[in-house]
Amino acid sequence: MIELIKVTKQFRQVLAVDNLSLRVVPGEIYGFLGPNGAGKTTTIRMIAGTLKPTAGKIRIDGKDLERDPLEAKRVLGIIPDRPFLYEKLTGYEFLRFTAGLYGVGSQDFETRAAELFDLFELGDWRHELIESYSHGMKQRLIMSAAMLHRPKVVVVDEPMVGLDPRGARLVKKIFWQLKKNGASILMSTHTLSLAAEVCDRIGIILQGRLLTEGTAESLLAEAKGSTQLEDAFLMLTGGQEEQALARFLENGRS
Amino acid sequence: MKTYLLLLSPRFLSLVHRVRSGEEGSTAKLLFMAGVAFLFWAGIFFGFYKALAYFKAAEGFGLVLAHKLMGMVWLTFWTILIFSNVITSLSSFFLSKDLDLLHTSPTSLENIFWARFTNTLVDSSWMVVFFGLPVYLVYGLVFQAGPFYYFSLIGVALPLLVLAGALGVSATQVLVHVFPARRTKDILLLLSILLIILLYLLFRMMRPERLVNPDAFTTVVGYFASMRTPSSPYLPSFWATEVLWPQLNKQGFSEAPFYLAMLAATAAAATVLASMLSNRLYLHGFTRSQEAARRIIRRASPLDALSFLAGRPFASPSRALIAKDIKTFFRDNTQWSQILLLLALIVVYLYNFSVLPLKKSPIPTFYLQNFISFLNIGLAAFVVASLGVRFVFPAVSQEGFSYWIIRSSPLSLKRFLWTKYWLYLPPLLIVAEVLIVVSNYLLDVTNLMMIISTVTIFFLALGLVALGVGLGAVYPRFETENIVQVATGFGGMMFMIMSAIYVGTVVILEAWPVYTLFVHQLYGRALPPWKLVLIAGCFAAVAAVHVAAVVLPMRIGLRHLGEREAL
Repeated sequence: MIELIKVTKQFRQVLAVDNLSLRVVPGEIYGFLGPNGAGKTTTIRMIAGTLKPTAGKIRIDGKDLERDPLEAKRVLGIIPDRPFLYEKLTGYEFLRFTAGLYGVGSQDFETRAAELFDLFELGDWRHELIESYSHGMKQRLIMSAAMLHRPKVVVVDEPMVGLDPRGARLVKKIFWQLKKNGASILMSTHTLSLAAEVCDRIGIILQGRLLTEGTAESLLAEAKGSTQLEDAFLMLTGGQEEQALARFLENGRS
Repeated sequence: MKTYLLLLSPRFLSLVHRVRSGEEGSTAKLLFMAGVAFLFWAGIFFGFYKALAYFKAAEGFGLVLAHKLMGMVWLTFWTILIFSNVITSLSSFFLSKDLDLLHTSPTSLENIFWARFTNTLVDSSWMVVFFGLPVYLVYGLVFQAGPFYYFSLIGVALPLLVLAGALGVSATQVLVHVFPARRTKDILLLLSILLIILLYLLFRMMRPERLVNPDAFTTVVGYFASMRTPSSPYLPSFWATEVLWPQLNKQGFSEAPFYLAMLAATAAAATVLASMLSNRLYLHGFTRSQEAARRIIRRASPLDALSFLAGRPFASPSRALIAKDIKTFFRDNTQWSQILLLLALIVVYLYNFSVLPLKKSPIPTFYLQNFISFLNIGLAAFVVASLGVRFVFPAVSQEGFSYWIIRSSPLSLKRFLWTKYWLYLPPLLIVAEVLIVVSNYLLDVTNLMMIISTVTIFFLALGLVALGVGLGAVYPRFETENIVQVATGFGGMMFMIMSAIYVGTVVILEAWPVYTLFVHQLYGRALPPWKLVLIAGCFAAVAAVHVAAVVLPMRIGLRHLGEREAL
């Protein structure tokens, strides 16, 4: 379970996240939507423990991230949007390094690593340096590393960036499987069709505040007249992008 | 011209923003760095002034020496400039991250060439110009040159800089045409390190100190005789000297206009040729630099064995971190190749002890040996600190952009920092003890001195490694692309200053008790109780300094790193 209780993050003059509260229960996929600069990545980085909230509490599987960070992180799997890895390690060595950090035993690691390399189709590349991997391969390696210790909570920032359609389908299947196993998944994305397809609930964040949350159907109902999640999203977030696009196209034509 | 200026603008604007940005402490840091640079500059100026004034005053060979020296300095600077341009152009033409953007834009290759050429020239030359300037100013002052000397200096320096740039850029174009850019970078790196080592060893083994020895005077005369032979008239450094020297020696313009024209024409021709060469070769080289090399790593390699051995005494997360650090270190050519420099440093350090003219000293050899051995503790510790700034201080920063993995994992920062400490301690400890034990053996010191120095350097190494890891955590640079640069920043300088204070304090605190112990042992006298108490007090103070040197930096580093947010 992920719980955010009145979380605020202030960067000097900028209030990135403002009194945000949300909850993702076990066996749930929660879609975290919002326009650029709304505070999604900041929230995810606070949950990952790489940013400290200015105020508020974050609980991972009931453990307070501030008071008991190591126990909280032990059950957490993080998949960031930018795949920064140790380029001079091989894929296999990187997984072994992650196993060491998360305390996965060596017997369990060998079986699990073999499964994950197969699953993410990285078997042929396992003994090659990460510096020679493509963006998509690095992304798949990060996902393998995040799954290695069978996390109870998974936090994903833009899961489909850099993935080919085959990889994207694989990720969806993995999320459903994790959900079936009782994991809580928080997923930030701009791909609204993906959110509509896989998320049980969706929260929309704007200027650091949770604007609304609910199922895809309830959001459509809230944004009266919308038949697609995209329309509902634009209407609920003020439709700035859509209006700006219309203006831009209008100017381009004249 | 407009596009050319536009292509230069991002660099210029970034510089403006960096200067303007009101980051915390940046003004203080800037002032500090400027102060240190000024001190170096002033050091070169006054050191060179003294040397040149001395040469000028020397009858007979003084002028010859000053003339030759000018030619040698030009040649040295010019060679450094060419090499620096080769290395810089490799990054600016082939490896820079913004090249993709430039190549996808409707910009001609010619414009890209001229913009990158300018960048390369500025990046590789500014430091040589800054630190070379005092040398030529001193020439002007000592020889009381007129204003034409200073105008000529600009007229000579500009074409020399451009020529070095053109040659450097052309060499890179050819190299990258033959080898892929990344491989070329590795080769150049290794070559430059081997070159430095070779020059360093050659210079030291020549034993230049013998030149001040009257016994070796015949050698000196032979040396000057050899210097009278002219250097090659085809070298631009010769032309530069021939433009400036007549004005210093009050010989009028002599052949200066001819050599000035030679310099300008050669620089212009070389630049045009570099541009033509780039038109022919650049795109091919750039395409090759985009290809990622596949490098399959064998399992069960020596690195695996080393990682296994080094990580054995530790728990699983530390073991994982140690294995990762060892592998990334030895697979990164910029990192492991520095070990070669380290070995050269140790060889020369120990060689110095083997050639010390102790027997010629008026002080009894026995005293001198033991006195040098005591001072050697400080020197060896300083060598360890220099290794620390290069290897230990960047230990935290080397996590780079991947630091998020550490921060989001269940590895406490305390364990993270202490694992780094225990990983870097053994190699530094071994180097420190080897330096002390072998140099003491060469000095043939007493057992008491041997024990005192080995124990002192042992504890100093403990403190220096903690200072390195701790201050590395206070001043991390995760966003740096080149880990070697971490050591040269503000934090690295702070580490060296703190290390000097630490080593100095320990040596000063130990000086009196060690001397007293030594003298009493020498004459076989028993120590009076009050002296024993004082000696114990001094050693207790030393112990307290060591404890503080280990505990404080680690604590402060841990606090800073905890407060710092990951990228």
